[in-house]
Amino acid sequence: MFDRRLIAADVLKLRRRRGMLSITLLLTLGSMALVFIVMAIQHAGNPAEYGPAGGLENYRENMSFLGLMALVVGAIVGATAGTQDLESGVFRDLAATGRSRTALFASRVTGAWAVVLPIIALAAGVSGAAATALAGSLAAPDAGALIAGTASVLAAAALGTAMAVGLSVLVGSRGPVIGILLAFYLAIQPLVIGMGFLGDVRQVMPAAALNRIGDLPQQGDLHVALAIAILAVIVWAASSLGLGAWRTRTREI
Amino acid sequence: MSFLLAPEARAGRRPYRRLMNSTPLIERESLAVQTEGLGKRFGSRAALEGVDLEVPRGCAFGFLGPNGAGKTTLIRLLLGLAEPSAGRMRLLGRELPGGRAAALARVGAIVEEPRFHAHLTGRENLDVHCAARDRSAHARIEGALARVGLAGRADERVKAYSLGMRQRLGVARCLLADPELLVLDEPMNGLDPAGILEFRKLIGELVGEGRTVLLSSHLLDEVEKTCDLAAIVDQGRIVAQGSIGELAGGGPRAIDIVCHSPAAAARLLAAVPGVTRAGDHEGSLRVTLSPEAPVDREIVTELLRRLLDHGVAVERVAPVAASLEDRFLTMTTHLEDSHV
Repeated sequence: MFDRRLIAADVLKLRRRRGMLSITLLLTLGSMALVFIVMAIQHAGNPAEYGPAGGLENYRENMSFLGLMALVVGAIVGATAGTQDLESGVFRDLAATGRSRTALFASRVTGAWAVVLPIIALAAGVSGAAATALAGSLAAPDAGALIAGTASVLAAAALGTAMAVGLSVLVGSRGPVIGILLAFYLAIQPLVIGMGFLGDVRQVMPAAALNRIGDLPQQGDLHVALAIAILAVIVWAASSLGLGAWRTRTREI
Repeated sequence: MSFLLAPEARAGRRPYRRLMNSTPLIERESLAVQTEGLGKRFGSRAALEGVDLEVPRGCAFGFLGPNGAGKTTLIRLLLGLAEPSAGRMRLLGRELPGGRAAALARVGAIVEEPRFHAHLTGRENLDVHCAARDRSAHARIEGALARVGLAGRADERVKAYSLGMRQRLGVARCLLADPELLVLDEPMNGLDPAGILEFRKLIGELVGEGRTVLLSSHLLDEVEKTCDLAAIVDQGRIVAQGSIGELAGGGPRAIDIVCHSPAAAARLLAAVPGVTRAGDHEGSLRVTLSPEAPVDREIVTELLRRLLDHGVAVERVAPVAASLEDRFLTMTTHLEDSHV
């Protein structure tokens, strides 16, 4: 099902979209660099009022923010990967080669992951290094915190990408899916997590689950069990990918 | 057993049988495409109904029909882009859908218009397509580009290509499969006269190599010049198929006469047995004959005798060569008919 040549082809299609890649780098590496630079300048200018830019707490907050950005870039890259063959009309020619449509779908997901995950990993690495180097008088993040934080943002990127690929294939259009996912991540999800009367149901929200995996600060009073967090991420990804694969196999072109 | 027609048969119009109301004469293995009772419905509307089509290997086969007749739908079914509602299909000797993957591995196709990733170069687009083909396809990229005359511009982005260049890149993409069968849907669209000429030559070369070309088009002249055999589809049904000569020959027969006082001549000739119509046609008198009446010496003599007996001077007499267009127009539904 996973064909290296097909995956390489999907990576090529994404790599050549320089505008999209620039936005992805800006939202991840750029935002992390900006946060640390601003905090470092503030600390240097007025150490009494502004603490060091690094340290464990700053690292956790930054990784929480990077997790959100990972969902956002996952939505952008994933929706592009999911629909670029369809929207360009090339999917018809690929399907007419007799190649399994499931393999074509699988290559889109893995191709998108191959683009997004290294960028997020790099941003997480930069963040971890900066948090350690600029810790000053604060406690630096230990190995456990670094691993958990990195796992959390990688999980966010993988989930955001998978959801975007699956849903965009299902809908057959890139723009609306990016819009819907951004609205979900940035507005609807915080709203739902903030609704205390929903109780434990809120544990299945992707942001809540991802923050639990990374042992990052949660919104409000929500407590999420680690097993439920992992299960929630798997279910969100699997259901989106399942719908996308089904639509790819059954679509009449 | 060779699936290809003999070169001498390929050189001229290939022998072909009329399939309507006849028993199969061509063995299944020698057919590139075979459909039996093929149908496709979109809700209550039948896009294709009871289509029996046989395309022999090693020929250029035209698939003719007016817009909306079902040409592209049939191609989509053959390529597995849509599922049929009824009937059976065989492609390159393999039953579909079971043998689809193996059959399509040796099929190159352009459906409607060739589409590409505009942000990639021509070569990168072919690379992407090769990934879905077998490993040997990559080795054919340079040859395919050279063959369609795009080798020098293969590293430009497709967004800078003209429509004609995209058509040629589409053909190059078809060649990556080293295809036994090429399915080309309206391939002449967007080509200038020189491009059409080149394309016609290319199709001839491909057929000469033993490949089969299934060419769907509404450009009757092109099909007549390019193809050996053709099928005419109308309102989702095949209304005729056979060699181009057979199809064109089945149309109305006529004689053009240049004479003095054509109006009087028309009245005189309309009464001759075998004449169905006599009237002005682009400055001459066109006499249309019934299908049973041959355009031979006997009827020409009778027409001339009638005119000379009544003092009408005749300058020139010429039989009208039957064209595929005439045949096509008598067989297919005209726009005005479809609204009745």
